[in-house]
Amino acid sequence: MSAAAGGPVAVHQFLPALNPHDATGTHTLKLREVLRQAGWRSEIFAEAIHDDLAAEALKHWMYPEHAADGDVAVYQFTTSSAVAPYLAEHGLPLILDFHNFTSPELFAGWEPGNVTRAAQARQDLALLAPEAKLGLARSAFSERALRRAGCRRTAVVPVLADYGRVTATPDPRVAAELAARRAEGGADILFVGRVVPSKAQHELVKALWTYRRLYDPNARLHLVGGTSSYEYNRSLLGFVDDLGLAGAVRITGEVSDAALAAYFAEANVFLSLSVHEGFGVPLVEAMTAGVPIVARDAGAVGQTVGHAALLLEAGDPAYVAAALHRVCTDGVVRRTLVAEGHRRAAELRSDVVGRQFVDAIAEVVGRP
Amino acid sequence: MSENNAESTPDTHPDDPGAYVQQVMAEIAEEVRLRRASGDLPPKLERELDELFLAHSPIGVRGGSLSEALRMVDAATFIDPVVPVDSERAAGAVVKKGMRSMLLWYVGWLTHQMSQSASAVSRALHIVDDRLKELERQVDSQRVSDSAVVEFPTSVGTGAWWVEPALAALAKAPGRVLHAACGDGWLVRRIADSGVDAYGIDPRTPIVDIAELDALDLRGESVPEHLRAVAAAGLGGIVLSGTVEGMAGGERNELLAVVGTRLAPGGTLVIHSVGRQAWEAADAPYGADLAPGRPLRPDTWCRLLEEDGYVASAQDGPDGSDYLITAVRAGLTPYEHDAR
Repeated sequence: MSAAAGGPVAVHQFLPALNPHDATGTHTLKLREVLRQAGWRSEIFAEAIHDDLAAEALKHWMYPEHAADGDVAVYQFTTSSAVAPYLAEHGLPLILDFHNFTSPELFAGWEPGNVTRAAQARQDLALLAPEAKLGLARSAFSERALRRAGCRRTAVVPVLADYGRVTATPDPRVAAELAARRAEGGADILFVGRVVPSKAQHELVKALWTYRRLYDPNARLHLVGGTSSYEYNRSLLGFVDDLGLAGAVRITGEVSDAALAAYFAEANVFLSLSVHEGFGVPLVEAMTAGVPIVARDAGAVGQTVGHAALLLEAGDPAYVAAALHRVCTDGVVRRTLVAEGHRRAAELRSDVVGRQFVDAIAEVVGRP
Repeated sequence: MSENNAESTPDTHPDDPGAYVQQVMAEIAEEVRLRRASGDLPPKLERELDELFLAHSPIGVRGGSLSEALRMVDAATFIDPVVPVDSERAAGAVVKKGMRSMLLWYVGWLTHQMSQSASAVSRALHIVDDRLKELERQVDSQRVSDSAVVEFPTSVGTGAWWVEPALAALAKAPGRVLHAACGDGWLVRRIADSGVDAYGIDPRTPIVDIAELDALDLRGESVPEHLRAVAAAGLGGIVLSGTVEGMAGGERNELLAVVGTRLAPGGTLVIHSVGRQAWEAADAPYGADLAPGRPLRPDTWCRLLEEDGYVASAQDGPDGSDYLITAVRAGLTPYEHDAR
């Protein structure tokens, strides 16, 4: 790499896994387009590649066949992976694109495998961060983690995402089902995210139970997202049943973009009680879709939403219920949050963020 | 889009959204306060919700026991080869039932072996559980009270006879001096006044907490744990008073081993202890009765320390009830010492 010689010819991306309908996968594909449009050659190398994206990437161990002098590597750091020691061993000039990862402590007692992976991710970060020429974090919260791990030069650049999918044409079948339920009365509360302990869906259920008891006996909660924690998912289902909320809580699993658009279109409020968020793409989707937000101010949530949410210090169901009631019944509050959400979402549009990526990378490695 | 979300940006949009949201949050806090005051939200409600969720959580989350975990293992040990055949469609149930009949011999053979394997593992774990319980019972029956500090009132305070000789021994300490157990810091203050950098630790945290600290560095920590956290050869002197009396033999040996690696070459170890006469006296502190060990004679201390590479000497107190050991560490580094 040599900025003095006119900058690198290629800025390649490496990542643990390239998957469709996944925030990191979408970010990686969009960043490749941004890098190519800026004038760099750019390919994607991954440890695992989903069949649907087989044409978009190569296995990371195939990189030497494509290597050239002056290559720069951007590593999409999301979890532990064989790619981390591979990059450390090959000594490519490295930019860490840090999406943060869930602390192992948050999986403790639930999934031993996830604890091990998260602990390994921490070691991978300690291995790579001191060697990185630049660390790009999704939020100031994640930037601090990069600094603590030894990264000397850092910048905050949000994620590249396809927020427009939530305002696309909704899946008519899902939309009709939701509309039928809405006709029975009651608010629709939405959360989007993997069903894992760190997202604290059980606290959303507690909040719904309290909200129904105090304010709105017909309210419903929609939990959209797949799971990577079987134990937590099982406990959540049992909890919902015991509270007699089986008819009021819908756990959808993974859904299509059109179905997701239907859920956002019908939601009265987006509620997040996550205890750890490195950025929070669904929060931006809610702002894009014009859904007011009530959220626990954990991790990077406050930085992501600005003034577009009622932020709670903790997940105390009484506070959550009162905040939900306020958003659902006070037009001025709702309109203020929605207007602020649109303003904040505009700052996070992909074209804006893409320019920030190019500037941050060029400042370190030179323009193409 | 829902009715609620279809509304446009209002004319009433506040000039300062941040301040407005803060105001709303304050109103929400007041709403919650009123709700709680009215009895709508009894405190036990949330606790009951938490307990209900915990009841569905894995044992690791609940902090459950090995026995409880084994009960769950036992419950899951039998693997049923008869798969359910319910179906939303009438034909589906018939097809599933047919498949089950055809495959039952094969599935049954597999599940039988899996159940046997799981049972064998479970039996082994039950044996481990039984042995652990028996060990815990034995340890509990032999457990002695923890007397981390056994302090004789006449041996404490700047007027005690052994303070001046101890200060003299520490005058040329090649580094910082640690006093354990430091109590309210009376000796640390005296050592500091003599121009030597000193600090103190004491496992009796409440005493440290209420001490008048001034500029003193006092910490409420266990003595062995603190010493293990100190860097090798990081101390110029160590004063042990009220610390060794309550220790069992094994604990004392461990303490001396870690002291040997934390003292710098040429560093000074000072031990103040009491003889058996004081130990047996009617006014001995209650910790003396509870302690698992018994006091060593001064000559025994000297012998132990000399075997460990110190040059040691003993000095009896004026009434013979207590004594002072001063020992200077030989000029070996801790690593050389370990190699020996």
